[in-house]
Amino acid sequence: MELEKREFTVLVSSVASDSHTWNLVFLQLLLEELGHRVVNIGACVPDDLLIASCVRHRPDLVVISSVNGHGHHDGVRVINELRSHPDLIGTPVVIGGKLGIGGVDNARHTDDLLRAGFDAVFDDSAPIAAFREYVDALGALTAVTA
Amino acid sequence: MSRIAHQVSSAVAFGDFVAEAAAAGRLVVQPRMGFSDPGQMRSGLIATKLADATTVGTITLDSYTRVGADGEARRALAEGVALNGYPIVAHEPSTTAAVVEGLRGRGFPVQIRHGSAHPEPIVAALLGAGFTATEGGPVSYCLPYSRLPLRDSVDNWSRSCELLAAVPDAHLETFGGCMMGQLCPPSLLVAISVLEGIFFRRHGLRSISLSYAQQTDAGQDEDAMRALRRLGREFLDGVQWHVVVYAYMGVYPRTPKGALSLLAGAARLAARTGGARLIVKTVAESSRIPTIAENVAALEHAARAAERAGTAPAGDDDSAVYQEARAIVDAVLDLDPDLGRGLVRAFELGYLDVPYCLHPDNAGRTRGHVDGAGRLAWSRIGALPIGHLVTPPRAEGMTSATLLTALTHVERTFDDERLERTAQMTLTTTTAGTTTAPPSPREHLTSPVTRTVMRVQDKALTAAREYLRDNGFTELLPAVIGPVTDPGGRGSKQVDVDYYGHRYKLMTSAILYKQASLLGFDKMFSIAPNVRLEPPETANTSRHLAEFHQLDVEIAGAKRDDALKVVEELVAAMVDRVVTEMPAELEELGRDKDAFTDLLSGAFGRVTHGAAVADLRGLGHAQSADAEIDWEGEAILSRKSSRPFFITDYPKGSRGFYDREDPAEPGVLRNFDLIAPEGFGELCSGSEREFEYARIVARMRETGENPAKYGWYLQMVREGIPASAGFGIGVQRFVRYLCGLDAVWQASAYPKIPGVVSW
Repeated sequence: MELEKREFTVLVSSVASDSHTWNLVFLQLLLEELGHRVVNIGACVPDDLLIASCVRHRPDLVVISSVNGHGHHDGVRVINELRSHPDLIGTPVVIGGKLGIGGVDNARHTDDLLRAGFDAVFDDSAPIAAFREYVDALGALTAVTA
Repeated sequence: MSRIAHQVSSAVAFGDFVAEAAAAGRLVVQPRMGFSDPGQMRSGLIATKLADATTVGTITLDSYTRVGADGEARRALAEGVALNGYPIVAHEPSTTAAVVEGLRGRGFPVQIRHGSAHPEPIVAALLGAGFTATEGGPVSYCLPYSRLPLRDSVDNWSRSCELLAAVPDAHLETFGGCMMGQLCPPSLLVAISVLEGIFFRRHGLRSISLSYAQQTDAGQDEDAMRALRRLGREFLDGVQWHVVVYAYMGVYPRTPKGALSLLAGAARLAARTGGARLIVKTVAESSRIPTIAENVAALEHAARAAERAGTAPAGDDDSAVYQEARAIVDAVLDLDPDLGRGLVRAFELGYLDVPYCLHPDNAGRTRGHVDGAGRLAWSRIGALPIGHLVTPPRAEGMTSATLLTALTHVERTFDDERLERTAQMTLTTTTAGTTTAPPSPREHLTSPVTRTVMRVQDKALTAAREYLRDNGFTELLPAVIGPVTDPGGRGSKQVDVDYYGHRYKLMTSAILYKQASLLGFDKMFSIAPNVRLEPPETANTSRHLAEFHQLDVEIAGAKRDDALKVVEELVAAMVDRVVTEMPAELEELGRDKDAFTDLLSGAFGRVTHGAAVADLRGLGHAQSADAEIDWEGEAILSRKSSRPFFITDYPKGSRGFYDREDPAEPGVLRNFDLIAPEGFGELCSGSEREFEYARIVARMRETGENPAKYGWYLQMVREGIPASAGFGIGVQRFVRYLCGLDAVWQASAYPKIPGVVSW
């Protein structure tokens, strides 16, 4: 069976404490190049705005990016809130960026974030190709199940 | 220079202190330092005050405090989670008072830096703790940093300005010169900086600083600084004001040398164009929150660069940057007598429109790019009131790849500067294939750089000899010629010598004699000359010499891990000795001793050849799995790392017959290379050795060597030699790394560059 790649909606967001935006601009351009529709809700997004946006846009994927070093801390809080909303229990949600302030120690936060409910974690040692492959695979998967 | 000399002012007020330093011709340098732990924050301020530079102190607040999430900050403090700054609202006022007790005041003002669009709690806290200097702005702390409606930020900043203005000595700096400035043409940065300065003035501030951050193109920056100062004279006459430069605010160079060079560029810009103050960045900027020591090193590096900078020739202060900025300022001021309302209206109309800014109140119709000449230019101007001044090129779409290229333009320029300069110095290959020689003997040997480098080499070798002797090694003087020599070496040729009618070789390495030495000495070392006629195309790699030396070590009965341990300890002993005893020399060479912090703090990294190949392929580099890591791949891996690391387990076929094949894993060699960080590449090669006759002969055949050539060696092996492991450290490469030199020939007193006919 030939899989048809489906365009899906990706919601790109940062977390409440993170004011960086180049990472979000980059992700938006990258996801658009992969053929997807992007809702970029920007930096310093409070948890309730993130959840309201997810409920409103019903994204096929939520991409959270944080580079200020608090991402591991904020990420756990955010995913707990997202997963406790009945509409968002199964939504694919990934997080990436510079997630801790400890340089190489950042990789240690990955397990915590996965346990808390993220579908994938891309810390800053992961090549961007890994993220692209994840999105492509998700696109194929969505095509099968859609 | 003595510390006393920097005490130019006993002023208490921030603005007065900077003004007095400027009058004395000294650039004020300032860190962007913030720690959540009060004790560490105090240590940072003390270190800033004591730095060998004219400094003011900084307390940078954390992200939770910036967004008003003080509960979150308190929770993190209670849980012992480190924050990325000092939470001035969450900490008790008495705690903050203790942080600055006896420090702040006469001759050392301290500024609170944050980034908040609702700054009133912060302003209240800082005033309550006795601080009077801070920074921000209704636009510059709203658009890039928050999602608060601009209208609300304007109201918040109006009230905050009035709170500040009620206090004597209050100083407020606009952050308008940054504004996601990486891809923002300077005229808009200058305009926003000036507009916020006017906003502060209209709300009662009497001491103001205007900021500028860019560094994409030095000439354009000088135009921007002149434009900013001219607009300051035109709009801020009657209040105290100065211009502050921020070291580059975008993606920072990863190499210490690149980072320091970019910082020095910012210091020069400020010093040459009448900037009074500089906010520094450190060598750690690209990877983590910098340490106090890294901050102090940055302050002192910037101060020295400023002292050497001189003054820029009085240039055009009616440049394109000035004209565009003035047109924007005028258009915005004309919108409304109330500048706060005018700013809000200007964003609605797109008179102010910051490229790539995602804030809901930003129109998002402008785009900037780095043009072919390396300057920032408009690719779309949207509704900016500069249509009569600018004709953007046909709008070009930005892709994720070109965005990354543009965002990393400065980082790449400064990280690659060393390589580029080296290529210029060592090689001007023409189509005829001629290459320039290194400097003449007189020029080279009398150069202060060469003399310092040779003293560093002497110090390092002294430390090596002491370490090795203390650990039971005997130094043997090396053989120079022999009937046969090491066949290894990627594509290099051996040199023949006529020895009484027999064709002998100059040693390409000491390996055969090292194994022989073990017959009499269990642990030996030599500092041995090697001659390898490397291919001429290696002349521009910066790390090949046709004649060089190795610090050769061989240990009877040792396994590879034993050899790795000796390499680690030996390298650390040499580095430690030089860092401890020659700090002035390293500074003279522009080498930051902090580059070795990671090296001296623990074991080196280890990665197998297979993992390194996979890593390189993941990065898009086509590395062969069956060969040594190629030069380019080695450089990529080296630049990714902050400390030296070993690559182990090369595949058979990639190295000489003497590297022992792993009995448990046929095809894999029990060998290693040591790779230096920062792009300096391979420093050392070694292995566990083959020592059994049959295996050596078989390996010689596999590697295409004729065993018949190796008469004396094979005869000796047949009679029995000890098992061993050993290595050779390239002395000139190691000294190049220690000194942070552009090219390895600078670490040789008598350089022989491959393919170059020289003295």
